[in-house]
Amino acid sequence: MAGVVVKAHFSRRRIVRIVVANVFRYLFRGAARNWFRNAGSTAPALSSMTLLLLLSGLVGLVGFSLHNLEQVQAGQASLLHVYMREGVPSTDVNALWDRLASDRRVASVTYVTKAQALARAQQIPGLPQIAAATDGNPFPASLDVRVKSIDDAAAIDNLVRTDIAVDALNPTSYDRGAYQRIQAVLFGLGVAGIAFLLLLGFVAITVTMNSIRAAIHSRRDEVTIMQLVGAPRWMVRGPFVVEGAITGALSGAVAGLITFGLAVAGMTAGPTSFTQFAPGITVTVAAIAAAIVFVTGLGLGSGSSLISVRRHLES
Amino acid sequence: MRPILEFAGVTRAYGPRLALDDVHLAMVPGELAFLVGPSGAGKTTLLKLINRELRPTSGEIWVDGIAAHDLKASRVSQLRRHVGVVFQDFKLLPRLTAKENVALALQVGDLRISDDEASERAMDALEAVGLGDRGGAFPQQLSGGQQQRVAVARAVVGQPRLLIADEPTGNLDLETSWQMMDLFADIAAFGTAVLIATHNVEIVTRLQRRVMTLVQGRLVRDQPAGRTGRMAWLASS
Repeated sequence: MAGVVVKAHFSRRRIVRIVVANVFRYLFRGAARNWFRNAGSTAPALSSMTLLLLLSGLVGLVGFSLHNLEQVQAGQASLLHVYMREGVPSTDVNALWDRLASDRRVASVTYVTKAQALARAQQIPGLPQIAAATDGNPFPASLDVRVKSIDDAAAIDNLVRTDIAVDALNPTSYDRGAYQRIQAVLFGLGVAGIAFLLLLGFVAITVTMNSIRAAIHSRRDEVTIMQLVGAPRWMVRGPFVVEGAITGALSGAVAGLITFGLAVAGMTAGPTSFTQFAPGITVTVAAIAAAIVFVTGLGLGSGSSLISVRRHLES
Repeated sequence: MRPILEFAGVTRAYGPRLALDDVHLAMVPGELAFLVGPSGAGKTTLLKLINRELRPTSGEIWVDGIAAHDLKASRVSQLRRHVGVVFQDFKLLPRLTAKENVALALQVGDLRISDDEASERAMDALEAVGLGDRGGAFPQQLSGGQQQRVAVARAVVGQPRLLIADEPTGNLDLETSWQMMDLFADIAAFGTAVLIATHNVEIVTRLQRRVMTLVQGRLVRDQPAGRTGRMAWLASS
């Protein structure tokens, strides 16, 4: 009797398990094996990408610090100290206080006595020595006026400068252009930082693309055979993209760990000076920066290899 | 019987030069045919058009009902699962064993095939080509004839409707070449259409199968099986 072919019925779960195992084998295991086999040729891409990602992480942290510094500066610039003249009657102070409080551009007005001004000065490095060198309390009473918008600080300064309650010689803390200068410097640094990051990104993409191109050329025969036996496009291209992702992920992990380590080392070595120079950088922020560096590495690695595969691997 | 392969007015140009010029042909399941012609006649181009390694400049190519002439790049792999290909240089993956090379062709075509099933079917195919005991050998551990048999096993393991072979005996001695031809005849007997491009005069004349002759890109002769006459051009090619 001739043989009869019976179509076996397999459960859906078993088929899914087989498909997943095959996809894992051809896409991920194959890519990992090829990555380790070509580790020598991938090493330059890995090291340059690690360096670039590390620089990106550090530039990112510096940028975050500068952003915080700018926020501090903006906060200080929106606070105007209106200095009272010596012996000013409280009625004049109250009148000025009422005028400022009723102004729509003003967010808040606080009266600071001479004693409070002295106490505050003693918190600022250098000023206690100045205070100790003079007889009595050299710091005047003031109205601390917080404006809603920094742009209104000049108008408020003009408004109070000629008031009878205000010290004629040193009327306010307003420094025309100081904030704008800081802003200009920070803007310049921000633009330079972004340009630097874009350049690093471009270099990282180019380096990874070249490494994947080299991998494609070294496995040209294998790719051709896979294509000729009917392997779908994703099965031919996928391993190269995964290889790029492995390179990017490893670079990102190493660069992220170093970024995190450097930030934590800085915090541990000199907590006070670190807070002054890099305001806002905490362990959490450093961990987030490390995670961003890792994800960026993964994205850059897989993205650039995808571009390379599309460009160098014909169907 | 519905043709498994059909060329209708197919032309393929490389720049100003015509590699194939208005070719019409058809093959039915179970047919074994030779494609002959001098070097540069267009044999390899014709085979590459079947497997969609090339696109025709004009005309239509139908392979098992698939319009190969109009196929998107993303769907080429589907066509190739209907066509088994044997190359002169075998094209085996050196890092895989004979069995793995054969199983690979199965699994890349259908991810639902388990390792056990692929392995079993690959061994069946290797046994069919007389290499049941060499499944664990790597290509470099096999002779040229054995490597070509592995390539044939890989080409037929997915049970394609059409098998094309480009100079499959080009790197083999005469005895091994005859063994290969017996193998192709067996494959055709099971219903697969087999098209072999070759320069081997002795094989073509002795086997008395259908012979299609290409000269300068034109199909100048199509002799049915059993009526293969003298082919003067072969002596001069």
